[in-house]
Amino acid sequence: MSAKDPNRRDLLRVLGASVGAGVGATAGLAASAGEAAAAPARTRRWGMVIDLDRCTLCSSCTVACKQENNVPVVGPDDEHVGAQIEWLSILWQEPEQPGGLPQGMPFPCQHCADAPCVKVCPVGATYKNDEGITMQIWDRCIGCRYCMVACPYGRRSFNWETPRWDGTQIQMLNPDVATRTGGVVEKCTFCYQRVRRVRERAALEGREIEDEEVRRLPACAAACPAEAIVFGDLADPESRVSELARDPRRFQLLDYLGTDPSVIYLKRDRR
Amino acid sequence: MHAELRPELRPELRRVSPIWYLMVLVAAIAVGVGLYCYSVQLARGDIATGLRNPGNGGAAWGFYIVFYVYFVGVSFAGITVASLARVFHIDTLKPVTRLAELLTIVALGVGAMMVLADLGRPLDGLLKLPALARPSSPFYGTFTLVVSGYLFSSLVFFVLAGRYDAAAMAQTGPPLLRPLYRLWGAGFRDDDVAHTRHWRSSFVLAMTIMPLLIVAHSTLGFIFGIQAGRPGWFSALQAPAFVVMAGVSGTGALIVLAAIVRRLFRLEDRIPIAALRWLGNFLWVLAAVYLYFMIVEELTSTYAAPRADRRIAHEVVGGSFAISFWLTVGSLGLAFLIPFVMYLRRLTSVAWLVVAALLANVAAVLKRLLIVVPSQTHGGHLQLREGLYTPTWVEIGVVLGAAGLLVLGILLFGRIFPLVPTPVPEARRHAAVPREPLRVLATVTCALIAAGLIAFGLSDSFRMWSGDELDPRVPFSPAIFATGVILLFSSAIVYETFPARRRRATPRRVIRPPRARIHRVDVRAQLRSSRDPRVRRKS
Repeated sequence: MSAKDPNRRDLLRVLGASVGAGVGATAGLAASAGEAAAAPARTRRWGMVIDLDRCTLCSSCTVACKQENNVPVVGPDDEHVGAQIEWLSILWQEPEQPGGLPQGMPFPCQHCADAPCVKVCPVGATYKNDEGITMQIWDRCIGCRYCMVACPYGRRSFNWETPRWDGTQIQMLNPDVATRTGGVVEKCTFCYQRVRRVRERAALEGREIEDEEVRRLPACAAACPAEAIVFGDLADPESRVSELARDPRRFQLLDYLGTDPSVIYLKRDRR
Repeated sequence: MHAELRPELRPELRRVSPIWYLMVLVAAIAVGVGLYCYSVQLARGDIATGLRNPGNGGAAWGFYIVFYVYFVGVSFAGITVASLARVFHIDTLKPVTRLAELLTIVALGVGAMMVLADLGRPLDGLLKLPALARPSSPFYGTFTLVVSGYLFSSLVFFVLAGRYDAAAMAQTGPPLLRPLYRLWGAGFRDDDVAHTRHWRSSFVLAMTIMPLLIVAHSTLGFIFGIQAGRPGWFSALQAPAFVVMAGVSGTGALIVLAAIVRRLFRLEDRIPIAALRWLGNFLWVLAAVYLYFMIVEELTSTYAAPRADRRIAHEVVGGSFAISFWLTVGSLGLAFLIPFVMYLRRLTSVAWLVVAALLANVAAVLKRLLIVVPSQTHGGHLQLREGLYTPTWVEIGVVLGAAGLLVLGILLFGRIFPLVPTPVPEARRHAAVPREPLRVLATVTCALIAAGLIAFGLSDSFRMWSGDELDPRVPFSPAIFATGVILLFSSAIVYETFPARRRRATPRRVIRPPRARIHRVDVRAQLRSSRDPRVRRKS
């Protein structure tokens, strides 16, 4: 990704210089946007803090995620048991005391800094981008499912059949996200299409991305009525997400595996 | 050729037993069933299999990966036996070396097919693995080393060892197949120098193949052994255990194959019981080592292991996988005991040996199932949904088809080529080889080009020059690496088939018949001029 950016910038620069006055205004704007992006960019690490104290387990995050990312819904019949595609689901846990309230946590891809899935992918279809997000190139995946067995969190889903979008369903698809075909693995991208939109808008306006505009950026965070999910740049010590991540209640799932997830949970404190 | 050989040792195609036709029919039907099942899988998608998402209680890898590991494991024995026979001069094993190599080659081909059956997008896999494969994935070693290096080195070994017989069959074999034999035996001259050359090159090949073999089977173990996220998999024992289990199943498969082939192709006089006895001894040694590994594994995963590892161990030994586990232990125990008792009592019974060998293969399949499946269905560090994996008829059919293809390949090959190599007398393998700088130069050049391709292909596969880009700098770098490995082994072919220098003592002058020219001769004009002496003489 990053290696391609300079080329694009060069191209924009050439465009900006060569195009005449009429078109020059827009081309120049694009070129200056390119310049702004070329300014020594901080390395970002997008991350998420999920406050389990605020979470009511209402599951609206999981619905929003499906809507935003064109996650196919598979049938309820026996054949499809275990074939569900889940980018974000609730990880249900045993209640602390018998008869207690059910417990659980919203459970997206953990976007590990040292991701086991990235190491094992034989063709580089999944990779860490320079913003700390574990991305997946749908069209590059050959469907060997090694990433699925390597992921300790089970946060990768395989398209066991080509998804069908019947009738009006096709009109509900989000045009910003490509649909996937049968035989490929898919996963949460922290709604990268939204991150990109914000980044491009900031670049066009010639400014840095503000923390406020990303806090509730991913679909799950936007949909959370209790504001339990906060998104932001973990590499920026000033950001809200970094501030929350310093909370003494913080924990990472399976931190002993050394994967260093970018999803940080705040322990439930309510009795 | 072969004038000095006793008639029963000459390469020939013997009449087969009628059971051969039955077995070919059954194998062909199995292949047909496999093709049908695979077409169902292609049409319906992988939902037709019993595999599901591991986070949802399923297993993403199942029968296909189990049998992929099994078939590649079976291939182990072939080339090991051939290499051992060569390196340690074990003449007892010589009659089964060709069978062993054949088993290796066919089993590797079938194993590669199991990977394709497993892939969600097989055509994309065929294109993208040679183009983009990354060495950081254990699959890289599997695809490049196992499929190119291991398969090709076995093929080279097989082809070079078969040239002697091929050259003979080109003269005595069925006329329809003679072009094939001529191609195979091209350039082979039945002199002591050629035999000595083959003796030398096969030694180098055998010495190269053995470490490659360990590496290749270890990469299979690493696929599982280096995954910290899967309790039950993460273990340094996986790689050596895979090597040993490959030996157990492969030796077993070779015993079964040799016993069947003896009967089917009426080769009882050519494949002596001693060869089978040797393999039986090899089997009990390897089975004993594997039993030891299993004890170590169970002790480690139950004594004070982390919770998730212990849960898997309990699930395997006494839970939903208990039947498979105890069947494995029992089969492996018998696969050890039967040949061991025979060894102690100095008895050999082919039938009992075949039973032990079959049990060794049952144990191999079940043990791989116990490695692959429980860690996915029950192996979460988190409280994920647990489930069961049951293969569907589609998966069973595809695996049956693969097994049918393996059998069919060997049965059909036995009809077109002698399955037992013609022995070369010891004395003929130690002739004085004339100095031939050109031959050495060609061989070394081939090897050096290969080394260059290997170095370049491997480092570019590691993305050493492409920074943080995903693609290698030169497209198809993994394929370049694999080509290098293939070329490296091909240098043995160059060494053996390089045209021999003609001896100066007997220069062969080519005598061409004079070309017939058509002159239009006007006889009357010649008579008139009468300058032509011939005309004058006539007149």
